[in-house]
Amino acid sequence: MKRYWRVTCAAIWLVTMSGCSTVQPWQRGDLARAEMALDPDPLLATYRQHVEFSKEAASGGASLGGGGCGCN
Amino acid sequence: MASRKPSLQALTAAALALPGLASAQTDYQADYLYSQYREGELPAARAASGERSDRYEIDTHMIRVAGERDEQSLTATVLYETMSGASPWWVQPGTDGRPVQVMSGASIREERVDLDATVTTPVRGAEVGASLGYSHENDYEAVNGGIEAEFTPETGQQTYSLGLGYSYDRIKPTVGASSTDVIDEADRDSLTLYGGSTWVLNTRTLIQGALSFSLQDGYLSDPYKRAFLTEVASTVRDSRPENRRQWSVSTRFRHFVPAVGGAVHVDYRFFRDDWRIEAHTLALAWHQVVGDDLRISPSLRWYSQSQAYFYAPFYSSLRADGLASSDYRLSPYGALSFRLDVRKIIDAWILGGGLEWYEASGDYAIGSVKVENPGLVDYLNVTVRLGYRF
Repeated sequence: MKRYWRVTCAAIWLVTMSGCSTVQPWQRGDLARAEMALDPDPLLATYRQHVEFSKEAASGGASLGGGGCGCN
Repeated sequence: MASRKPSLQALTAAALALPGLASAQTDYQADYLYSQYREGELPAARAASGERSDRYEIDTHMIRVAGERDEQSLTATVLYETMSGASPWWVQPGTDGRPVQVMSGASIREERVDLDATVTTPVRGAEVGASLGYSHENDYEAVNGGIEAEFTPETGQQTYSLGLGYSYDRIKPTVGASSTDVIDEADRDSLTLYGGSTWVLNTRTLIQGALSFSLQDGYLSDPYKRAFLTEVASTVRDSRPENRRQWSVSTRFRHFVPAVGGAVHVDYRFFRDDWRIEAHTLALAWHQVVGDDLRISPSLRWYSQSQAYFYAPFYSSLRADGLASSDYRLSPYGALSFRLDVRKIIDAWILGGGLEWYEASGDYAIGSVKVENPGLVDYLNVTVRLGYRF
């Protein structure tokens, strides 16, 4: 398990320290496009996450899951 | 609110360009989603009865209303769904020794209602959101709440996010659907924590990395499932550890390709828990914009998990620790799903729909699966969308 955490921390450090260039606000037209959003359709993403949660063992990510089971 | 000044629009666009904040929201928006979820039937060759069996069907209605005023926003979601069909009960050896699935005899009919609300407000330069939710089924109730925060330093190259959530779940198995040796009532607590950061790599690329941890404590078994013991040719109740720790590492990559006017999305997650399940999830999506108002999004998702340490399709005798589960969700398998979503904007209206085909199989898993659980699921999911911005 420690190996995975080391790889993750190293990847985060590399991106943080070397990968970013300064992008001014007026250069962000493409980044602001709806299709560039992390979740372009939040309602559909919420629904599909719940289906996956009820069918698979794995869960987790950069959001809080809702409640309820809906399992079978 | 519709007659925003151009300068305010420019500021809003700049704010939306901060990583993690980009979305299609306007001041107020109402969304409706209808989903028709249909599981494929259990083939006769995998059924203990020797006859094919229908499985689960779920019809879901979701309404979400989101509004923003004076830098504060409120999002409220209502879900109502009906579920019916037969469910996997236990697995036993067939005449040739290979595992076959026993389905629940009676067709299950259930309803679920879920209410959720989130309020977001700026606090000392950060966007802080508080959420509260409630879910109700005939045999299941859950209350959950959480706090999430996003902070973007003045340089604007990164956005940091943090979330803490709690859920209290109580289950009271319905009479007749379970067995006499199963609990009358039980509960569990779940705590979830995540932290992430989103970086702007260049004018067309951003990436997010996140770590999450979840702790569950209480009744984590499934009262509607059983496990088969070959020595006594009988079943025992599903029994799992009473706590579970889960970790995940995930990343999301977004890149806009101006030559064709589309964006590529790559999402990956590695998951591990102390039930010794490891899982990989990889999703690839392409969001193609046609004109200014049509978006077509095909995507492919692959998933693979290893088994829980106490899982078996069936057991010769009870384990020394008393744990037993033949639930396919704890078995080793992989899954592929294909999705196609379409979204069209007509004035203030948003129309859309989508299809998803999901298939689970031992063949899609990392490594070889020696004995595939016969209850693995496949499903077809059709969604219809309607939205209105005002």
